[in-house]
Amino acid sequence: MSRALLLASLMLLTWACTSPPSADKKEKSGKTVICLLPKKKGVPYFTSCSVGAEAASKDLGDVELRYDGPTDGSAEKAAEMIEKWTAKGVDVIAVSCNDPGALASAMRAARAKGVKVVTWDADADADTREFFVNQATPEQIGFGLVDTMAKDLGDASGEVAIVTASLTAANQNEWIKHMKIRMAKYPNLRLVAVKPSNEDQKLAFDTTRDLMGAYPNLRGVFAISSVAFPGAAEAIKQAGKSGKVLVTGLATPNDMKAFVKDGTVTSVLLWKTEDLGYLTVEVGRALAKGELKAGATEFESRRLGKVKIAGDNVLLGDPMVFTKDNIDQFDF
Amino acid sequence: MRRALKGFGSYEAGLLGLLVLLMIGFGLADPAFLSLGAQLDLSGPLWESLLLAVPMTLIVVTGAIDLSVGAAVSLCAVCFGLMFQSTGSVLTSGMVSLGVGVLVGTVNGLLVSLINIHSLVVTLATMALGFGIAEGASRGQPFSGFGPTLNPVAKWAVVFAFGAAVWTAVWTRRSVTGQSLYVIGLNETAAEYSGYPVKRSKVALFVVQGLMAGLVAVIYAARRGSVKSDIGQGLELDVVTAVVLGGTSVFGGRGSVWGTVLGALLVHEVRQFASWHWERNELIPLLIGGLLLISVTAGRVIDGIKTPQ
Repeated sequence: MSRALLLASLMLLTWACTSPPSADKKEKSGKTVICLLPKKKGVPYFTSCSVGAEAASKDLGDVELRYDGPTDGSAEKAAEMIEKWTAKGVDVIAVSCNDPGALASAMRAARAKGVKVVTWDADADADTREFFVNQATPEQIGFGLVDTMAKDLGDASGEVAIVTASLTAANQNEWIKHMKIRMAKYPNLRLVAVKPSNEDQKLAFDTTRDLMGAYPNLRGVFAISSVAFPGAAEAIKQAGKSGKVLVTGLATPNDMKAFVKDGTVTSVLLWKTEDLGYLTVEVGRALAKGELKAGATEFESRRLGKVKIAGDNVLLGDPMVFTKDNIDQFDF
Repeated sequence: MRRALKGFGSYEAGLLGLLVLLMIGFGLADPAFLSLGAQLDLSGPLWESLLLAVPMTLIVVTGAIDLSVGAAVSLCAVCFGLMFQSTGSVLTSGMVSLGVGVLVGTVNGLLVSLINIHSLVVTLATMALGFGIAEGASRGQPFSGFGPTLNPVAKWAVVFAFGAAVWTAVWTRRSVTGQSLYVIGLNETAAEYSGYPVKRSKVALFVVQGLMAGLVAVIYAARRGSVKSDIGQGLELDVVTAVVLGGTSVFGGRGSVWGTVLGALLVHEVRQFASWHWERNELIPLLIGGLLLISVTAGRVIDGIKTPQ
């Protein structure tokens, strides 16, 4: 009996598998299908990017947006998703790349099958994608941080220190390099220390407390990772030095709202994540429609106006400064 | 073929029926999903979980379990990467990966059989150790750039997987040692007094499981061109679900390799379809966890029918 069942089932399965796939290739609607892959799904930063992407797909009208990514941030799952979308025959895949090595083969295979691949938020190997939607260059971030501190200090003078992620963190080291270049513009601003916090909020707290002890004249702290920033702010607040020692850095507005409201933090830097999602969808669509080609130097965005393209990097523009006056308008 | 199909009983037929029904359902909902091209493109992870699920079946048949498979894969992969970084030889790195797998298996096997601690606890501990060492040794960094020499290994994965399944299916049915595993699972003390090499069998099974983890790590490196310490994360859930869904009793003594093959196929297809159709990654653990619960319950019901209280 079971032998017969086995045979029947196998025949059915073969039939099912060989039945011609319907003309699903270009999907039903004729819309440009854009898949947005975050490093990790379910974290506020990426969710707010997806809100912007959703808005772009509504505004443009001829775009069907799919937002999905690994909930555990695993590169293997991200690669599987790229393969799945490639098999489905979507038009554009936009990748925030959590591991260039692991995603490279899947991204190359997608391009070989005619899918347009772009990166956003975090870049991959240059030959695996056509454009990178770059939210902020190290120069923009480094200069932005120093300019903001100088402005918040009023007279742009005194001792300042940096609490970084780890001393080997590539991103942060690039930013620090550009911060030092920019500091030349403010001769009275003196950098006295660069300390690591190893992406540990507790260590950032301790480090900032020790810095204030070691440099009694310290006037400003750059806490340049999203983990270090709240730790440093908490240390200053608990030492009762809110407003006397300034702290600025990169973090999402929601993480820092309380500190901004009680006066510990004057300014928070970050790009507008929604705009990043918005621009990524626009770039993806333009690429699929042939409106954007390699070598272009400018791109016309509906929401952001003209944005610059440097090489194959589409630039989102200067980072946004969140202060007491505007921070309530943002929720991410 | 006839010999190999022995052990394809009514539970397995029921599973196959379920698989066919599901595939037809998936096909109706999303015809492109059923196309051969899509199925082949998405099949990579299936061979790897099959290679791990086949020895896992035997371990569970003896009444034990190995939760450290995922960690073993991660550890082997990281050792592969580190070795490749220092020697540049794919062959040496592959050998190291297999060796580390055997080492992990030996540690598991010895702890379980000699010191007589339950495998659930032992392998839970080695799982944590494995992931910890893998993460620490690699500092969370990925390894890549293995070059084209490794590429053919990925294509061979399907042959390895089917070879392992067919050979094991025959072996468990036809050989005395294969049959003895069921006796061990039914009553370990009785098996020991009857002169079965209980301890040796258990150590051997864990070593084979480790070796397969080493092999899977190499296949993964070939398929993806990059390895990282998190690649084995959550693998144990898929593998154990495949085994239990395939009708192997978690209490030992009952189970078949064919059931496991079907279980692995079901887990794979459900996972892929959920990702394909709903595009909601958070759904997948929900579905796999649900499948595991349903299959354990079903197993309990079957056990209840066979041995009325």
